[in-house]
Amino acid sequence: MTMPIRKSHPLFKILNGAVVDLPAPANISTLWNFGSLLGLCLVIQIVTGLFLAMHYTAHVDLAFSSVAHICRDVNYGWLLRTLHANGASFFFICLYMHTGRGIYYGSFLYLHAWSVGVVILLLVMATAFLGYVLPWGQMSFWGATVITNLFSAIPYIGTELVQWIWGGFAVDNATLTRFFTFHFLFPFIVAAATIIHILFIHQTGSNNPLGIVSNVDKVPFHPYFTFKDITGFIVMLAALILLTLLNPYLLGDPDNFIPANPLVTPAHIQPEWYFLFAYAILRSIPNKLGGVIALVMSILILLILPFTHAAKFRSLTFYPLNQLMFWSLVSIVFLLTWIGARPVEDPYVLTGQILTVMYFSYYIINPLTLIWWDKMLD
Amino acid sequence: MGKGFGELAHVRGIIKYSLSPFEQRAFAGAIKYGVPNLFRRFRGQVLRVAPPFIIGYMVYQTVEGRHTQLMRKNPTDFENDE
Repeated sequence: MTMPIRKSHPLFKILNGAVVDLPAPANISTLWNFGSLLGLCLVIQIVTGLFLAMHYTAHVDLAFSSVAHICRDVNYGWLLRTLHANGASFFFICLYMHTGRGIYYGSFLYLHAWSVGVVILLLVMATAFLGYVLPWGQMSFWGATVITNLFSAIPYIGTELVQWIWGGFAVDNATLTRFFTFHFLFPFIVAAATIIHILFIHQTGSNNPLGIVSNVDKVPFHPYFTFKDITGFIVMLAALILLTLLNPYLLGDPDNFIPANPLVTPAHIQPEWYFLFAYAILRSIPNKLGGVIALVMSILILLILPFTHAAKFRSLTFYPLNQLMFWSLVSIVFLLTWIGARPVEDPYVLTGQILTVMYFSYYIINPLTLIWWDKMLD
Repeated sequence: MGKGFGELAHVRGIIKYSLSPFEQRAFAGAIKYGVPNLFRRFRGQVLRVAPPFIIGYMVYQTVEGRHTQLMRKNPTDFENDE
């Protein structure tokens, strides 16, 4: 019998190896859906973004009104805009679920895939930050001002570096145009990094909830996980459409309906919800450079996970105490998100500082508890 | 690329029997066994998942309450007012 075309054709055999004949563990749960959901989110953001870019103008005098023009005059512009804004929120929901799955089940032991994953997380965060500036509302301008000013904390080169990024002495037109350029560019770098991320995963095969070698019980990706992924797409698209059509500005800031005014500082400058936990960590340190380092480390600390994992078992499935600690970490991140949205007043300041210490402590206490649990059961 | 079918693992002495998917009901026992199983799985996890969120909510409530109090004038300063 001749080989089927999906296995012999130079292009199709790559797709075949990725989504048809790929051996997948039979026991991977819904938490394994978020990888494909992230791919869907990226496609949604790129497609809606491409169409928005056809009508958007990146100039300080025109940006705000071009967004209003899109929402009012462009055919289905209102839908493109709200899908793109809410699509970003869903992107981060999926990112955090996907990363959380990786932390819980020890998927980070796939070192290459994990490192590329952290790079993708940072790139998507940068893309979202750049994109939020583009409508040129009050929060766009002042959020950009706050975050870009952080770079001035870097010793020696800080001030020059910030002015180089700004293209001037403050956030202005030069900043807006280059932010648009990079916001357009980065998603394609994310797409390339995603392909590399998948390449590394396919070297080893997927992890599974038990954290053990699954070669004895593999099923083909198609039809099981093609259809499971499609089910996941339907669920996520339903949620996205519900939010976009019923309450499109629920997750937004009312201040961004006011055109940017460098002479009027909003009472409460805050980023979008998905950055609030990091914002809280940044504000917890009274020193500017210290806060910046803490902000960066709050994400980069994910990279130490593969090196601190000294447990006998890969996944937390068999470690009830560590499961409790994991969910405490999730609760801490939720509380940090709340604190990030609150003003810098008592008792929020101390609460944020305690939560920051607790957040970083997890990465030390968790491996120690794993080792202790293993010793105790020996 | 990673191991493909046919070279995954050496398994000897295990015989598996299964029915064709066309010879069985797809959702057999989904409610009769599935729903009690849902409760079993919930009971097994709830004591590890819920406590951090319950404590988290209590922290939130306490801190928000304290902030509200700090935003108010001190009632004892006006006790002797007529």
